[in-house]
Amino acid sequence: MQGLLVGGLYALIALGFTVIFKSSRVLNLAYGEQIVILSYFLHWLLASHGLPGWLGILIILGCGAGLGYAVERLAIRPLLGQPFLALLMMTMMLGFLFKGLVSLKWGGETYAGPFTPDYTWGESIRVNPAHVYAFGAAIAVFVLLFFLFRYTKIGLAMRVVASDHTVSQSLGIRVRQVYSVSWIISGVFAAVCAILVSMVWSIRPVTGDIALGKGLPVLLLGGMDSIPGALFGGLAIGVIESLATQWGPEYQEMIPWAIMLLILVIRPWGIFGERRIERI
Amino acid sequence: MGLPCGTYNTSPQEDMAIVRTRTQWVLLALGLAFLATLALYLPPLWVLWLITLGCYVVAALGLHILTGLCGQFSMGHAAFMAVGAYAAAIFGKEYGLPAWATLPIAGVLAGLVGLVFGTPALRIRGFYLVMSTIAAQFMMVWLLRDSPLSEWTGGYESYRVPDIVILGSRIGDVGKWWLTLAVVVVAVVLAKNIQRTSAGRRFIAVRDNDLAAEVMGVNLFRTKLLAFFIGCCFAGVAGWLWAHAAVRSVLVGQFQFDTSLKLLGMVIVGGMGSTTGAVMGAVLISLADMVTTSYISPAIGESFPELAGVVSHSLTLIVFASVVMFFIVVEPRGLYYRFLRLKLFYRLHPFSY
Repeated sequence: MQGLLVGGLYALIALGFTVIFKSSRVLNLAYGEQIVILSYFLHWLLASHGLPGWLGILIILGCGAGLGYAVERLAIRPLLGQPFLALLMMTMMLGFLFKGLVSLKWGGETYAGPFTPDYTWGESIRVNPAHVYAFGAAIAVFVLLFFLFRYTKIGLAMRVVASDHTVSQSLGIRVRQVYSVSWIISGVFAAVCAILVSMVWSIRPVTGDIALGKGLPVLLLGGMDSIPGALFGGLAIGVIESLATQWGPEYQEMIPWAIMLLILVIRPWGIFGERRIERI
Repeated sequence: MGLPCGTYNTSPQEDMAIVRTRTQWVLLALGLAFLATLALYLPPLWVLWLITLGCYVVAALGLHILTGLCGQFSMGHAAFMAVGAYAAAIFGKEYGLPAWATLPIAGVLAGLVGLVFGTPALRIRGFYLVMSTIAAQFMMVWLLRDSPLSEWTGGYESYRVPDIVILGSRIGDVGKWWLTLAVVVVAVVLAKNIQRTSAGRRFIAVRDNDLAAEVMGVNLFRTKLLAFFIGCCFAGVAGWLWAHAAVRSVLVGQFQFDTSLKLLGMVIVGGMGSTTGAVMGAVLISLADMVTTSYISPAIGESFPELAGVVSHSLTLIVFASVVMFFIVVEPRGLYYRFLRLKLFYRLHPFSY
């Protein structure tokens, strides 16, 4: 039960990766640090400037979108058409840059998340409401994305661009705009994650590594380009992880990686992912 | 690039020679002598830096064989260094083996672990292989630190490595640098020559197009695994060197994901697929690291006392990230390519070609 709720959080993190990968085939390894920098910024806005909570949330969503756009425009777009390693390394280095900036500004300080609930629900089974919010947000985001990709024009454009961006450009789709939009959406998700993750894990620098460490296995288990896959993967990893914890607390860290290695050997494209056939 | 004026290759041996003319031999000897005596007059801080650099050079050469030659990207190379370092420490302490005996054990053990994590390479490649090496990195750290194995490796505690004793006395920093230099020279010669064997040519064929290579009769599975074995052997030897020369006790924290990325950064900055490039990249990144931690950070810490505690850590990250990003965007072919261009320009100077 607890595992399922934690899984909602993992799914929420993984969805941010999926949106970008689905449209531009770039794995954004800076995503975890994006979450960290946004959550520190949120704390800074609320604690140091005394802004009301709702305004803080609005600003942070805007900042998330802006950060996503800036990353795409400044770092990713010059590299389009380069080998994938260059892109992968670029996003990783961006993560390092954010990590360095966060530690320069805030040091290694740990803060409690701004909206951390100080009560729990339930009598026999204690449930942290933050987990429930995260779970709800994951479901909401999932539904939103599902409709976005299925029924809207930009969603259709994203799917077309993903399958072949030369063809889609010649059909009159603005590929660059589609990339920007997907990075902006993912940036907004990073902001949502920043709010919810800071409730559960509080605001600290290692959150970025944890997000990466949970996000990647979830992503690969469900399939890189599948939105239901991210949701399923998150819940599955959450449940398996909490089962493994009963076996011994030290296994919690390792189980997601073991599952990831296993799935890479058996079914590299993931459970719900699209299998790409290599042509010469 | 062409030979000096008036020198012609008249036999295949001459064509294949790495060091071709007498001037080059003399320069090489002078350069080695310079490096060997470097430790005698540099301050201790820089001698230590040189030793660390040597370890990174060896590990980066391994990654260069694996990634630059064979095209199997790895983001978990530090984990194999950890295997080598722990092999050196455990075999040296528990079983009392001398250092020269633990060297091959460290290399082979790291190579074997590399084989285990390299087997997915048969089915997956590129992007997914990177993911599996990241998983390898985190699992190795977990195995050494948190798993039941940790009773053996000391878990979170650091593991004291026995000193190298020659003629009844422990070797000092200068001796350690000579040891490092010897290992680095052997590693460079090996790496340079592996490139020119039939296995090296198979690696390059697999990197350029693995389907085509398979059609031409290259055994893909064996070639990829061989690349993993050799690359991880180098990493294991680097770990051995690290345990014996750079630090006195090994700790899992020294071989984190950050170190893996640093190694990959070195290969990228130097230029994929060239031995000299890997060495150059290692020197550049380590130099940037050293200058940031020892000179720039204290200066900033003095001017802005409120930043003094964090500036070193954060500035190292920022400088490293900036250097790698700069190279990815501005010169994706790396330092070595720039160097070649410069050499060509110098040689042809008044003319453009």
